[in-house]
Amino acid sequence: MSDVPVILVANRGEIAMRIIAAARRIGASPVLAASVADKDSPAARAADRVIVIGASPANQSYLKPEQVAQAAVMAGAAAVHPGYGFLSEQPALCELLEEEGIAWVGPRPETLRAVGDKGSARQVAIDAGVPVGAGVEIDDPTNVVALGEQIGYPLLIKAIHGGGGRGIRLVTNPEELVELAPQAAAEAVAAFGNGALYLERYYGRARHVEVQVFGDGEGNAWIFGDRDCSVQRRHQKLIEECPAPGLSEKRRQLLHDSSRALVKVLRYRGAGTVEFLVDTESEDVIFLEVNARIQVEHPVTEEAFGVDLVAAQLLLALGRDPQLPDVGPVPPAAVIEMRINAEDPNADFQPNSGDITRLVWPKGPGIRIDTQIEEGYRFPPFYDSLMAKLIVRAHNRDAAVAAATAAVRNVTIDGLKTTLPMHAYVLAHPDFIAGGIPTSWFGPVWEARKESLT
Amino acid sequence: MGEQPSWQDVLDLIAQLNESDYESASVQVGDVSIRLSKNDVGFDTPESAGRVGAQPLIETGFDTPATAGRVGAQPRIETGFDTPTSSATQPATALGDTIDAPMIGVFYRRPSPGAAPFVEPGQRVEADTTIGIIEIMKLMNPIVAGKAGVITDFLVSDADAVEFGQPLATINTSA
Repeated sequence: MSDVPVILVANRGEIAMRIIAAARRIGASPVLAASVADKDSPAARAADRVIVIGASPANQSYLKPEQVAQAAVMAGAAAVHPGYGFLSEQPALCELLEEEGIAWVGPRPETLRAVGDKGSARQVAIDAGVPVGAGVEIDDPTNVVALGEQIGYPLLIKAIHGGGGRGIRLVTNPEELVELAPQAAAEAVAAFGNGALYLERYYGRARHVEVQVFGDGEGNAWIFGDRDCSVQRRHQKLIEECPAPGLSEKRRQLLHDSSRALVKVLRYRGAGTVEFLVDTESEDVIFLEVNARIQVEHPVTEEAFGVDLVAAQLLLALGRDPQLPDVGPVPPAAVIEMRINAEDPNADFQPNSGDITRLVWPKGPGIRIDTQIEEGYRFPPFYDSLMAKLIVRAHNRDAAVAAATAAVRNVTIDGLKTTLPMHAYVLAHPDFIAGGIPTSWFGPVWEARKESLT
Repeated sequence: MGEQPSWQDVLDLIAQLNESDYESASVQVGDVSIRLSKNDVGFDTPESAGRVGAQPLIETGFDTPATAGRVGAQPRIETGFDTPTSSATQPATALGDTIDAPMIGVFYRRPSPGAAPFVEPGQRVEADTTIGIIEIMKLMNPIVAGKAGVITDFLVSDADAVEFGQPLATINTSA
């Protein structure tokens, strides 16, 4: 074995570039596991070696644990970084690598399992004393007033055996509940063959706030602040920022303490994110899930705190000190990330692919661009539409919004439709500038803009 | 060697998996471990054009390192229950004169060390003639020529690691 450990990069696109950069930073040798479509990609050129693992469609390459593990063996890898998506939260690859004595850059397989489904993740949160959404089963649909009081309004009546959005009713007061519960039970019997119901608190105007954690695998945690990812379209994040604006000290502490407790209970290893729903109409904070991987939006945290989370992941996986500082709950800067997708925001965000004929990025202090695209790059149709992340840092949020606005204006991407016009619109919107919008904000606002244009 | 499952046990397992909601199963009986998958998630390999459809694999892996890398010790059983079809992933061989690796892995020209190679250069093959084996994470996959002709040369050595799409052999299809 040489002194230079090999890191197999089991991903593509901008995150592959990001992992390669981190591997270089720690003096390791990056090897890319690529599909046929990506074998000559910028990430392939940036790596020391490329191993073609399969055909272009992800389900024949990036989603195949055996093929990635085989590439890791062939590369003589010391560790495999799965990035996000694909196999990043699948215990399967992690366990194959374990058999080969190759480190997995991520949490243990049992952690992946424990947080991998809603039910067990909720139980872990309860065990850690983390607030979860109130929910209660209905024993008798004609006797529900007390249960309704227990949950609070508005609430949802859900059929336990329902799914896909069916069998759900929104209820705003006790009278409605008394009237609708027996109906819902009868319908659930008819539709699902089982009348079992439960009540759940409904949050129509909540924010998405998440906490960046890094566990040493022994129960100790670094907490790198929080991010607000509430600008969403159909649960897809569009803009993220660090720190989350307008959080009270008390709420922030609850979010951070809860996340720390989860790391301890799980003896969490490496980088992770704890997602919460933060209500704007009550003081409620509700645990959503643990994302057991590096996330797309990790750069806002890195820029805000001046850390390299991906390098820290690699160091920990190699059994070294991750070289992370202890930091306060609020970073000394404000950072905003805009996801530039190959989608047409004026045509229902339809994805498109093709050649990038001209590309100009803005320059200046506090501007970071995480991307794999370059002039002449043919954006492939096989994978997700993320082209680049434009990340802008300034001394406070107002300055960051202004700098982000200018940065977006100074991007030129010719050859493809992108989400840049959407970013320009959101950054200039008074609601966004004020901060603290809920996840339900973007959809209707963007629709209203479209109508005002026609 | 400890107890081994009978043929019927394996067939019963297949029937049970087929009727269940499970995507895949892994069973250990004595010294024998059996992994089954309905839809090739988890441990299957891309289907080569030389094979028909997407067929679940049954691997009976005897856990002795000595047998890893050998073919005869690892029976590979293909059954035909419903699976999502995968599009053929045989890389384009526009020139028509190479046989390319349909998957990443370790290429073997012989069924076991010391045995004669499946085929030698100069030998005529049919599309379904096995020309070698690719091992991917202890799973053995027969590789067929995919086209009829005369093998002119092998471009990789026995036990070489190969990537997806890497040319394994040249073939004269007009011979």
